[in-house]
Amino acid sequence: MTDLAVPLRAKDTEPRSRDQVVLAGLLSLPTLFLIVLCLIPLFLLVQLSFAHREDGGLWRAGLELTQYRQLLNPQFLKVALFSFTLALTTAVISVALAFPVAYFISRMKRRAQITWLVGLLSTLSLSEVLIVFSFQVLLSGGGGLVKALVALGIMDSVHSLYPNFAAVMVCLVYLVLPYIILFLYPAMSQLDDDIPAAATTMGASPARAFLTVVAPMVKGPLLSAGLLVVIFTVGSYLTPLVLGRPQQWTVGILISNGAMTTGNLPLAAAQAVALVALMVGLLGLVRLLTRAGSPAS
Amino acid sequence: MFGLEISKVTKAFGAHLAVDDVSLSIPQGEFVCFLGPSGCGKTTLMRMIAGLESPGEGSIALNGRDITRQPANVRKFGMVFQSLALFPHLSVGENVAFSLRLQGQDARQRKARVDELLTLVRLPGMEKRAVSQLSGGQRQRVAIARALAQEPPVFLLDEPFSALDAKLREEMQIELRLLQKRLQITTILVTHDQREAMSMADSIAVMGDGKIQQYGSPLSIYRAPANTFVANFIGLSNLLPVEVLDHETVRFGANILKVAPMSQPATASLATLSIRPEDIQLTAANGAGDNTVSGRITFIRDMGSSVEVHLDCDGRDVLSVVQPRDWMGAGTGDIAHLRLPRNQCRVLAA
Repeated sequence: MTDLAVPLRAKDTEPRSRDQVVLAGLLSLPTLFLIVLCLIPLFLLVQLSFAHREDGGLWRAGLELTQYRQLLNPQFLKVALFSFTLALTTAVISVALAFPVAYFISRMKRRAQITWLVGLLSTLSLSEVLIVFSFQVLLSGGGGLVKALVALGIMDSVHSLYPNFAAVMVCLVYLVLPYIILFLYPAMSQLDDDIPAAATTMGASPARAFLTVVAPMVKGPLLSAGLLVVIFTVGSYLTPLVLGRPQQWTVGILISNGAMTTGNLPLAAAQAVALVALMVGLLGLVRLLTRAGSPAS
Repeated sequence: MFGLEISKVTKAFGAHLAVDDVSLSIPQGEFVCFLGPSGCGKTTLMRMIAGLESPGEGSIALNGRDITRQPANVRKFGMVFQSLALFPHLSVGENVAFSLRLQGQDARQRKARVDELLTLVRLPGMEKRAVSQLSGGQRQRVAIARALAQEPPVFLLDEPFSALDAKLREEMQIELRLLQKRLQITTILVTHDQREAMSMADSIAVMGDGKIQQYGSPLSIYRAPANTFVANFIGLSNLLPVEVLDHETVRFGANILKVAPMSQPATASLATLSIRPEDIQLTAANGAGDNTVSGRITFIRDMGSSVEVHLDCDGRDVLSVVQPRDWMGAGTGDIAHLRLPRNQCRVLAA
């Protein structure tokens, strides 16, 4: 908004008011969508989280903190901590993989770049359900991968590669990787090749040039990409459910179980609100970090 | 030899030969310009000298020691890039101190050196500023200070002034030349601007098609271009098709002209005669003597400090630039006589 307001102010009064009408018109529809589809459900969720639970999956409107007190239950905290660790690990691995890929794609010839980007975009058309169940088949004892690994002598015997933490992790990384590569690509394209070159002419080895000059310059996009992964995966549901053991279940599964099986909707709502609050807090933290990292301007 | 020695260096990118068999000796402390149009291979040659590209063939030696395979971070030739490549996440002082930090100098040593360098480039007290707060000329100076911080054996500049406006560019050219003379550092500047090259360099290497077309002092190249490429690229030249009669005589249309003696005349062959516009003397009088051709004035442009006169001689456009006091005051359509001083008429290869 502030970006738009500067050129508008510079103009004459009449075009300015006309521009503002056009702008308001253009913004009204997305604003309406945001209110109806995001803010109202969120409000209902918050309201529900303070409600009084009644038997048989029912609830009565109220202002109780009973559900929020239950969030301090060690069982929930353990699952929440695990969800967060899983999301953070996925973020670190996927950003570490996507960063060089995005960098090298941005250094390719135009045609090769387009091929890669179109290829990455096309993988986004696969649904999460399809990917997760494909991984289940791939990692199963009867799957081709296990047989190939046994034939190569890397695995001793035929056994399923899931459910476990690694299976959940690999699938989550696979799911977010195209998004993160596409997210990092513009930042990598803007990186001036002369900058690491300049560092090497001053005595920095290529690795040192990368760490001291390139990495700090792309710190902002990398942190944002990591945050995006955390947001994507902290509430992950299907992947840990299908490829993980109960020890690898996340808050998402806990909320679903609370709502569907136990029928405690207010508690499920409180858990969801806690998750949203955690994410908002994280967003604020990253914003603070990226702002502190950039030089004063 | 003391200085930089480039021997038979070649570099190809795919099928494109960017630098083609280039040999050059640059004595210690000299200021050399690589001058040529874009795509002539001058930047590639500079990047090979810096160690940022490796030559396909040939060798590069510094003070008699072969450095062809030495990586850029070991050579540590200070380089100012066309984009300047200042580190945006570091302050002015941190940019300048980058190489010093790599050398392991402590904070006090670094501060002293940064102060010294910023004073040298006339930016004292600016070390705390962010790069984004500087003007174009100030950034240029920071880039120069940063490249000089490590006391490089060779100082390289790749079109450093191309982004500056004309006035600032001239100021920076003078500043850089004074700085280079003071530091006595071997300097190579890549440019496509012949004025820049003429005004700054001890020697110019005119490059075209990946080759060095001519190497010499600015004046010698201007006075005696080696070929039509150089004659066209450095200043303005009249290039006239002539037939070689003997080692000092050519035929231009119906006129027989005496020229500066040729070393290897190919008699009866077609060649190109080059003469600078300011060397042609215009007279109105008939039968003005030796080495004269006549032409009809087609266009006159009085620039105040000089007069540019275009003439049609035997179907060829010839430009003469005369001083106002020598201008005979003829008009378009008049016949004038052009005296071509023999020693200024050079017959060029191709």
